[in-house]
Amino acid sequence: MTGIAELKLENENIAIISIAGTWNIYENHPHAEEFIDTILSKPSLQKVDLKFVDLKSWDCVLINFLIHILNACESKNLTVNIDNIPTGIRRLIELSKSSPVRNISSTSRKKPTILEFIGSVGLLIFLSLRTFLDFMEKLWVGIISFIGGKVKIRSQEFAVVLQEVGVKALPIVFLISFLVGLIIAFVSILQLSQFGANIYVANLVGISMMREMGCIMTGIIMSGRTGAAFAATIGTMVVNDEVDALQTAGFSTINFLVLPRVIALTLMMPLLYIFSAFIGIFGGLCAAMFTTDLTVVRYCTQTANAVHLNDFFVGIIKSCFFGFLVAATGCQKGLQCKRSAEDVGLTTTTAVVTSIVAIIIMDAIFAIVFSLFGI
Amino acid sequence: MVPKISVKNLNMAYDKYMVMRNLSFDVQQGEIFLIIGQSGCGKSTLLKYLLGLRRVNHQKIFYDGRDINSVINVPSFYGEKIGVLYQGGALWSSMTLAENVALPLETYTPLGREEIEEIVTLKLSLVGLKGFENFYPSQISGGMQKRAGLARAIALDPEILFFDEPSAGLDSVSAKRLDDLILELKESLGITVVIVTHDLASIFAIGTRAIYLDVESKTITAMGTPHELLMSSNDKNVIAFLSRGTKIAQG
Repeated sequence: MTGIAELKLENENIAIISIAGTWNIYENHPHAEEFIDTILSKPSLQKVDLKFVDLKSWDCVLINFLIHILNACESKNLTVNIDNIPTGIRRLIELSKSSPVRNISSTSRKKPTILEFIGSVGLLIFLSLRTFLDFMEKLWVGIISFIGGKVKIRSQEFAVVLQEVGVKALPIVFLISFLVGLIIAFVSILQLSQFGANIYVANLVGISMMREMGCIMTGIIMSGRTGAAFAATIGTMVVNDEVDALQTAGFSTINFLVLPRVIALTLMMPLLYIFSAFIGIFGGLCAAMFTTDLTVVRYCTQTANAVHLNDFFVGIIKSCFFGFLVAATGCQKGLQCKRSAEDVGLTTTTAVVTSIVAIIIMDAIFAIVFSLFGI
Repeated sequence: MVPKISVKNLNMAYDKYMVMRNLSFDVQQGEIFLIIGQSGCGKSTLLKYLLGLRRVNHQKIFYDGRDINSVINVPSFYGEKIGVLYQGGALWSSMTLAENVALPLETYTPLGREEIEEIVTLKLSLVGLKGFENFYPSQISGGMQKRAGLARAIALDPEILFFDEPSAGLDSVSAKRLDDLILELKESLGITVVIVTHDLASIFAIGTRAIYLDVESKTITAMGTPHELLMSSNDKNVIAFLSRGTKIAQG
């Protein structure tokens, strides 16, 4: 037997709600809204009588039902006869009503108008930019102090970070770069073979890996791997009060947490880029060897002729910037983390997305600048 | 006598939401001062203001009569003046216990490596963690992390010790040991102690004076010794908060 509630009008002044059956969250049960509508639609009604007939069992759904009915009656100044409510139910209703309501302003919860929405988004962008610039200012002060010898970073911690961002990243950089080189070569061969110009696959793979793909792919890999790790580590430290503990022990979070990571990644990125570029070229060579009649010597000679030293330096400069960007973004987002596990996840995602977008934008700027200078 | 810490008409807010208003109190040298109140009343937020972790206007919080905004930028303020034990210990997870305790000593003192190691062992033995020097925080229990956090907080023998819910998550025996340790530090070193807590056993066991932050009126509604608050306060929330404690103590 499921929950049953019936509303009968004894006369035009008195309504009786009879409640029976089994009321639990797993069974069908009546909803208070239908009864409230009926009660509110009778202007002459003065009293509501609650009767419990053959009530088998109940749980929170009945409590919820009754609270709604009681609130509706209270809002219409109707007298409610609650004498028949079983003691357990009545005590729970009283307990729920006795809970103090905190006087928290609800202005922030109302749905914003379009103007408010635009304003809040604008404000958010402005505040984010200001926070980022503030962070950058502190970071550069830290870097200059470090170069000037005024700030020291813990060598042990720095070595661990170097290892994490450098040597331990080699397998993933190898895999992705090899496959990217392979893919570029396969796509190029498909087109170039139509003109009998297979040899130029070495030019395409060499220049694209040295100038663009090597540093961009490394940057993106490091965003997803190291930038995310920086954000998550520092974010977790915020959640665990470790960052507060640093501050109240008198240590600068920039010098202690950010500087070793930024310096380590800025130093390691060019090395990873060089590794990535050569592995990409190797991937291209493998593809060319399997699908064309090119020899290793011809491919390597063609690559050496096609790739110039300035392509290499362009890649080095870009990878330094990308390393700095990824590390700074990861650390900044980590420090902005709030106080829950969910925020750590959000912080990590934001760090990855922001640094990838920043890398692409920065690469576009580099492309324009280098083309203006004819590099 | 100039109070060790003085708070004058401090308002605390999160965005537009006012947490507490018009807070004024003094903490005297050598006392164990308690900040008590129901969960969510703003005790830990007040602690952040006292520690300078939240920005505060001038002429609101004073240390030895000096505005907090002028002293938090002095490098030795945090290291030498104050020590903090956070709720979970907040040990730096990438360092061993010994490195956690040694770092303030390496940074702020001219001591040699050997002497620092000896002091680290001494501090860890004070909190019952001798022999755990080379353990990482993840390798020890929550209660031990808390004790190691205390060893780090007292590394430089600070003038003021702050505790954020020191007994939270500890069994009654460990909580009692921590209370005894706080009393011992206060007695032997003359340290001023500020504790944020709602642990009633600790309140009556070690508190010199206390303020009650009332969540409804959003201000301090009672100030005095814990027993004074219980016996003479007219505030029903204060009595309700503290009376359970006496029942526990008597029971």
